[in-house]
Amino acid sequence: MSHINDAKYLIIATIILAILSTLSLLWGQFDISISTFFDYLNHKLFSSPATQDFTLIESIILDIRLPRVLLAILIGAALATSGAVFQAMFVNPLVSPGILGVLAGASFGAACGMLISEHWFIVQILAFVFGFVAVGFAVFIGSMVTNSRSTVMLVLGGVISASLFTSLLSIIKYVADPYSTLPAIVYWLMGSLSMAELNETLLVAIPITLSILGMIFMSKYFDLMSLGDEEAKALGVNVKLIRIVAIILATLASSLSVVMAGIIGWVGLIIPHIIRMAVGPSHRLLIPLSAVIGAIFLLCADAISRLALSVEIPIGILTSLIGIPIFIIVLKNARAAWN
Amino acid sequence: MELNPIIEVNDLHFSYKNHKVLSGINFELNRGEVVSLLGINGCGKSTLIKLILKLIHTDADIKIDAKELKSYSHKDLAHKIAYIPQYNNTPFNYQVLDMVLMARVTKLGFFAQPSKKDYEVAMAALEKIGMEHLKNRAFGQLSGGQKQMVLLARSIAQEVNTFIMDEPVAGLDYGNQIRLLELIDSLASEGYTFLKTTHYPDHALLMSSRVVVMHEGVIVADDAPEMIITSQMIEKIYDIKADIITHGKHKRCLPIFDTNRQKDLHELTI
Repeated sequence: MSHINDAKYLIIATIILAILSTLSLLWGQFDISISTFFDYLNHKLFSSPATQDFTLIESIILDIRLPRVLLAILIGAALATSGAVFQAMFVNPLVSPGILGVLAGASFGAACGMLISEHWFIVQILAFVFGFVAVGFAVFIGSMVTNSRSTVMLVLGGVISASLFTSLLSIIKYVADPYSTLPAIVYWLMGSLSMAELNETLLVAIPITLSILGMIFMSKYFDLMSLGDEEAKALGVNVKLIRIVAIILATLASSLSVVMAGIIGWVGLIIPHIIRMAVGPSHRLLIPLSAVIGAIFLLCADAISRLALSVEIPIGILTSLIGIPIFIIVLKNARAAWN
Repeated sequence: MELNPIIEVNDLHFSYKNHKVLSGINFELNRGEVVSLLGINGCGKSTLIKLILKLIHTDADIKIDAKELKSYSHKDLAHKIAYIPQYNNTPFNYQVLDMVLMARVTKLGFFAQPSKKDYEVAMAALEKIGMEHLKNRAFGQLSGGQKQMVLLARSIAQEVNTFIMDEPVAGLDYGNQIRLLELIDSLASEGYTFLKTTHYPDHALLMSSRVVVMHEGVIVADDAPEMIITSQMIEKIYDIKADIITHGKHKRCLPIFDTNRQKDLHELTI
């Protein structure tokens, strides 16, 4: 039965994610050995006597590495899941939060928020609103030229939408204080998990997790939606409702990722493709697996960004460098399946 | 046997952007019938099907199983009628079994995933049309005929008795056209009701209990196939000559290949 296989893939991927997360907590500028880590866990969870002074280790794990690992998992999961959902909703394997302009729109919104308000909540709301406006604009431009659903026109619409919001963002950069706000915006936009703090991460974790769960619960409808509106309706789907809810959830998850870590491109585009090549296109498996594999991907990218050089490479640059060759391979393999 | 028709259309008029597509359509589909909808491209037969399936919005007087179409959600309608589109061009290459399983999705609760029973219904539907050996194949790699059969299996898994097919044999190779018609015929003899559009008067003669001919948005004939499909009708609708002959237990429609006709036309234009 294929639903047993589905579960098998998910369990294996989740175990890999758990192992990699633990390793990420241990490896870094200051390595912590596995035995020390277990001693520490024993001490914390079961109140066994301390074998050494854990103050430094606790501070490294809880204050520095845990928020970062959590954030990498959240953002990887959010971007890959949203990518898979956008691809299903627009019946278009070439779209992603980045290509539809969501990331650019959200970064403009978040930058506006940073400029006008200290309040974290306002930044998040504005990021989401402009992320949503950006998708809407991409769809509008894509459908303005042709009536029928066109793969390429939607991608072009997204390119136009993304460059519009990138230009608007430049205006904000131009008016921002060059000594404080401007460097903050620029560094944040390059994509970085290094500024993660536990409280902020937990705060954003709630809406991101809820939207990912929502998308997972809706996944069985996505197969039908990807057949096109007429067939989906004839099979009994409330097409308008599913589409708007799914697009809102995907936009929310990817916009919030921008607020937390800037623009991290390519994850939402390549992860769903890799999974489709490995286990097929059924969304019942694709959506939850995107969440787990996306998290694994970003966790690995973050490990490389921390460990590869003595200085940290912004993770957004890294995902592009890794993502582009993978996407070229995927494009070559997947073209046959699209036609 | 219930008496009310499964589909009932009363005095339907429909325009698309000031262009009149359908006018004064009265149409019924009764249980157990196989109805072929004939007519040239643009005669309005696809529009009629889409209106019945609620794929195009209308306030017209259409009743499905004695209830107003307006009162149906897409989900309710999917529990009455299955639709088999002409072709399916999703960029995502699903497995055959997943494709059939899609019939079950809107029968599930919001949080439910397809259960063992849903898999069994899907497999039984594939077995019914003899496609179970292809269950793990990619849908996109199937031939046109196999695709139509899988979509038929999906409709069976939808557990409804009425199928609407949009030109089921379009694009199929010669052998598959006939095999698909035979399959539809055997399903019809099990009690399934079919409404299908077709471009082939001959196919309508082979396997319909009733034929409806549409021309320029109007139903011009609605009767038993051998009453309607005549040389005169073929000439009027398609502008070609044809002989209706008896072959075995069926009447057949044989178009006459007339090269002189083209010459006449050619001389006319000169």
